[in-house]
Amino acid sequence: MSAQITVVVAADGTVHAETHGLPGPACLDYIAVLEDLLDATTVSSAYTADFHHARSTVEAAEVVRDVDRR
Amino acid sequence: MSVSLLLVPVALAAAAAIQARASGGEAKGTICTVSTRMRDSALLATALRETGAVVTAATDVVDAAWQGVEGRFTRGADGVWTAHFRGDVDETRAVEIVQRLDAAYGRQVQAAVLDRLRDRAPAAGLRLESETVTDDAAVRLVFAVERQERA
Repeated sequence: MSAQITVVVAADGTVHAETHGLPGPACLDYIAVLEDLLDATTVSSAYTADFHHARSTVEAAEVVRDVDRR
Repeated sequence: MSVSLLLVPVALAAAAAIQARASGGEAKGTICTVSTRMRDSALLATALRETGAVVTAATDVVDAAWQGVEGRFTRGADGVWTAHFRGDVDETRAVEIVQRLDAAYGRQVQAAVLDRLRDRAPAAGLRLESETVTDDAAVRLVFAVERQERA
């Protein structure tokens, strides 16, 4: 999946942004990039289901490797 | 992996509520003071004109006149503008004026944010793939990440 950032600028001036397909903590780097681009401050942030799904996949792969070592 | 963010432009106070308080006894009528979330004087002046006001702007004071109502906006130590109304106005009318002004100001902030985003995104390695306006007048932009930044 190619990396994308979706930005929604509401009519009241507030901004919602979401990263997609950025590997690992690279998505966190874009918090500062977006704050600078938008001249804005992040008031809340949350990992999406994608993030948890990707992390679960990594953790599952690590468990499999541990089993293989035995 | 994905992260979801809520951002507030510096032109807006992060936590703000439109609240009015009145103080009577003035010769020209009740004075109503209304707190706002507005921080940018240029956007404030433009928004005021959008509401039909005649505007006189100075560094830390912006005066506005509507039919029968005068408003003076002063900037607090936190950079947020407070509105003071006198004339044919009570707390309800003052709040209505500020709500209309707040909507106009929000549209000004939206336009300013979009201009800045379109202008600066390419230099941050973001290529605009699509731009759509939603039913609630929000603007949705999708950018492809062409090179990944290390902030």
